[in-house]
Amino acid sequence: MTSHATTYLAFLRRAVSISTDGGWRFYTWMTALTAVMLVGVNAYAQQLGGGMGVTGMSDHVSWGLYIANFAFAVGLAAGAVMMVIPAYLYRDHEMHDVVIVGEILAVAAIAMSLAFVTVDLGRPDRLWHMVPFIGRFHWPVSMLTWDVVVLTGYLLLNLHITGYLLYTRYRGERPDKRWYVPFVLLSIVWAVSIHTVTAFLFSGLGGRPFWNSALLAPRFLVSAFVSGPAFIVLALEACRRYLDVRIPEGPTWTLVNILRVTVLINLFLVLSEVFTEFYSGGSHVASAQYLFFGLHGANALVPWIWFAVVANVVAAGLLLAADKSRMHLVIIACVLTFVGVWVEKGMGLVIPGFVPSTLHELVEYVPNELEWRVMAGIWAMGMIIFTLGLKVAAEVFTGRAVYRTEPGAPVPTAPETV
Amino acid sequence: MDDLTRRRLLKGGGATLGAAAFARALAPITEWTDDLSVDGFLQKHYKELSRDEIAAVCKRLEAETLQDYGAVVQIGDVRPQPGVEFAYALNLSVCIGCRRCSEACHVENNHDRATNNSYIRVLRIDKGTVDLAFSDTTYEGAVPRADSYYMPVQCHQCDNAPCVTVCPVEATWKEADGIVVVDYDWCIGCRYCEAACPYHARRFNWTKPEIPAEEINPDQAYLSNRIRPQGVMEKCTFCLQRTRKGKLPACLEACPTGARVFGNLLDPDSEIRWVLENKRVFVLKEDLGTQPRFFYFFDE
Amino acid sequence: MASDRLPVLLLAALLGCGGGFSDPSREFAEPVPEGSHDVVIHQPDVLGVLDTDRVDVHGAPVGVGCDTCHGPALAATPQGNPEEMHSDVDVVHGDLVCASCHDDDRTRLRRASGKTLEMDQAMELCAQCHGPQKRDYDHGSHGGMNGYWDLRQGPRSRNHCLDCHGAHAPQYQGGVAVHPPRDRFLRPRHDADHDDPKPAPADASETGAHDG
Repeated sequence: MTSHATTYLAFLRRAVSISTDGGWRFYTWMTALTAVMLVGVNAYAQQLGGGMGVTGMSDHVSWGLYIANFAFAVGLAAGAVMMVIPAYLYRDHEMHDVVIVGEILAVAAIAMSLAFVTVDLGRPDRLWHMVPFIGRFHWPVSMLTWDVVVLTGYLLLNLHITGYLLYTRYRGERPDKRWYVPFVLLSIVWAVSIHTVTAFLFSGLGGRPFWNSALLAPRFLVSAFVSGPAFIVLALEACRRYLDVRIPEGPTWTLVNILRVTVLINLFLVLSEVFTEFYSGGSHVASAQYLFFGLHGANALVPWIWFAVVANVVAAGLLLAADKSRMHLVIIACVLTFVGVWVEKGMGLVIPGFVPSTLHELVEYVPNELEWRVMAGIWAMGMIIFTLGLKVAAEVFTGRAVYRTEPGAPVPTAPETV
Repeated sequence: MDDLTRRRLLKGGGATLGAAAFARALAPITEWTDDLSVDGFLQKHYKELSRDEIAAVCKRLEAETLQDYGAVVQIGDVRPQPGVEFAYALNLSVCIGCRRCSEACHVENNHDRATNNSYIRVLRIDKGTVDLAFSDTTYEGAVPRADSYYMPVQCHQCDNAPCVTVCPVEATWKEADGIVVVDYDWCIGCRYCEAACPYHARRFNWTKPEIPAEEINPDQAYLSNRIRPQGVMEKCTFCLQRTRKGKLPACLEACPTGARVFGNLLDPDSEIRWVLENKRVFVLKEDLGTQPRFFYFFDE
Repeated sequence: MASDRLPVLLLAALLGCGGGFSDPSREFAEPVPEGSHDVVIHQPDVLGVLDTDRVDVHGAPVGVGCDTCHGPALAATPQGNPEEMHSDVDVVHGDLVCASCHDDDRTRLRRASGKTLEMDQAMELCAQCHGPQKRDYDHGSHGGMNGYWDLRQGPRSRNHCLDCHGAHAPQYQGGVAVHPPRDRFLRPRHDADHDDPKPAPADASETGAHDG
């Protein structure tokens, strides 16, 4: 077979050409995303120029929209594993065909989470300080260093898996199980670890009683297993409509069945948190009080959290009621629960940890317009990566994008489903 | 012109427009990059610098201060005295909540003027409780009020400091004399330490500090009161630029009632040792296990 | 096998623990040479002087020395009503009367034991009854100080009792607080139970209002 040096370059060139070619809907979608991304870049440049004081954060609420989205994006990446487990551990063959959607989501979501952390740094020019041996990497003491390790590792894992599968398919070969199955199995464990470590970041802080709960890591994981599958169900539906591929129905219903359980567990964990906080009362309740009912007249988050709770309850009902003839209920439920978890995990978890402050000062936080722009830009970037990843995967997996030694040469027989 | 060429032309045009838009979008960044330098970028961690290197860094910082703020300053690498472990005590029966300590800190440590920043926050607490839920920091007017007592809070230089634990790049650490310091040129500004501190002791430079040249305190130290750059953390350092030379911290000197006691724990004849041995001292949030070096006590 | 683990352990050690200074000579400053400096206690002008309401041409307050009326030039018991002569002395000092502190020779003070004290030994008289405060003062936990914590390196100055406490009405007057922090978004607490009182009039505070 032709050498990798040739085929890999050809693969990259082909990927670029797939990424820049399509119908009018593709161009519109990508142009819109790029425009939003540029708005975000500009907002970020303003933030670097004027200092982080141009955001709505303060010494009292020193983490805001960016870290909220970071936590959510890590959860989204971990949720991709909900496709991997049925595909590889339960030998669900239909799921196996589309599991790459989850892995591409993981890549895009990790890229987003790394971007959110970077824009939250006061000195991104000093990122090299975190590189082991060159900088000073405070591992294993600082949980943030664990987060860096696991997020980078998860990104590399999923890049390898998707890259390997796409590349071998492109070469018309059958993927060698030894080169991806162990990595896939590792990614199952690793997905749990990325979100556990992210939760430990928060729950390890004794000075923040709202976060200092054993329930935080389970809550993070369960809500990841809500947001991930919900997004993938929507993505699969979009693939069916806009990409020239055949997506079987089975994987969607597997994910819906998973969602039926995880949405309920998530609600239960919220209930458990609420009971534990409010039943005994005391000063530690202040943050939960602020979140659910308002504190001393400050109630900016109250409508958000109740919306999130109601959205999840409604979604739970819709998912239980839905069946194959009422797919639209599933779509609504997935959107509701995705947004609901975003609110509950992001604004409903990061912000109340700072309100009231450790000295019981009450300073509220509302993200300002600049922060929303940066956030939109990063989400656009994530969607660009996801869209292009899916498009390349669609072309490669259907055999339309395959290496030919010269134009018109016969295409190698398409490999069996792996 | 056939479809393929037109498509290519459109794509090329689009790409060019995109690149131009990207450059335009990035334009505001120069306000920040103007303050960056190659030397600053490559500078190693404080603990990895030799005497000559740190002296060179201080010289560069003095020149930058002159250029940015128009003030001539002396930045020293003020090291701990051997045989010294600092501690601080505060007499809650005597503190009247006048905030002179907070003001003195603001002046001594070259804080940003616009925000009136200080490392010290004074809490007014209702008499009869130690629950900070019944406190506030925004009181004004005559002090002391009959129904309140006052508790200034600043960095406690904890022996088991959560901020030191969580820093991903070791930009903050506890020195030999007990002071927890920050290397402002190493900090990446992630603010994890600010989230971790149970005492609201850490501050972040949300903007580049603005101080008129005539108000700048020129006696500065690398690890404490030199003017901090944008985007890094800072905190109370027990005025190490003064205390490591044997002087009292600025907050203590400003206190009109003498509520503050400072000194060397290792000296059995020191005032701080006497207070710890003879007064009933307590620390804030003791159950968190931070082991502060800052103690509070009442006379009665 | 232990040798397999060693690189990992070394890695963890390198990455994990910060380690000390790479230039050990930088860890500490030079040791302090032995020395001894003084603690100077301020002597207030009010000692042995009775304040009047008058000021001189320079605006400085005019006082009358005790020995002006009570000195050897005049009789030991001057004429006139004591309350009228000392009308601007407000004694708010528990149940004390003039003779509790002032000797028959009014230019001097007297302890309960009968021991006479010069005016510049007034702190010893305060300490007679306010022992705990004087003990705290001696140990640095009352009354403040300026200068050096380390008397090997420099001197220290201390207040006199009378710098903060009037001899006849010793209760500390308090002051007006420096302005509160101007943090972004910090809202002042204004619940009904805790309305801040109106600011005191300017002359109530000896330290004076100070803008932040």
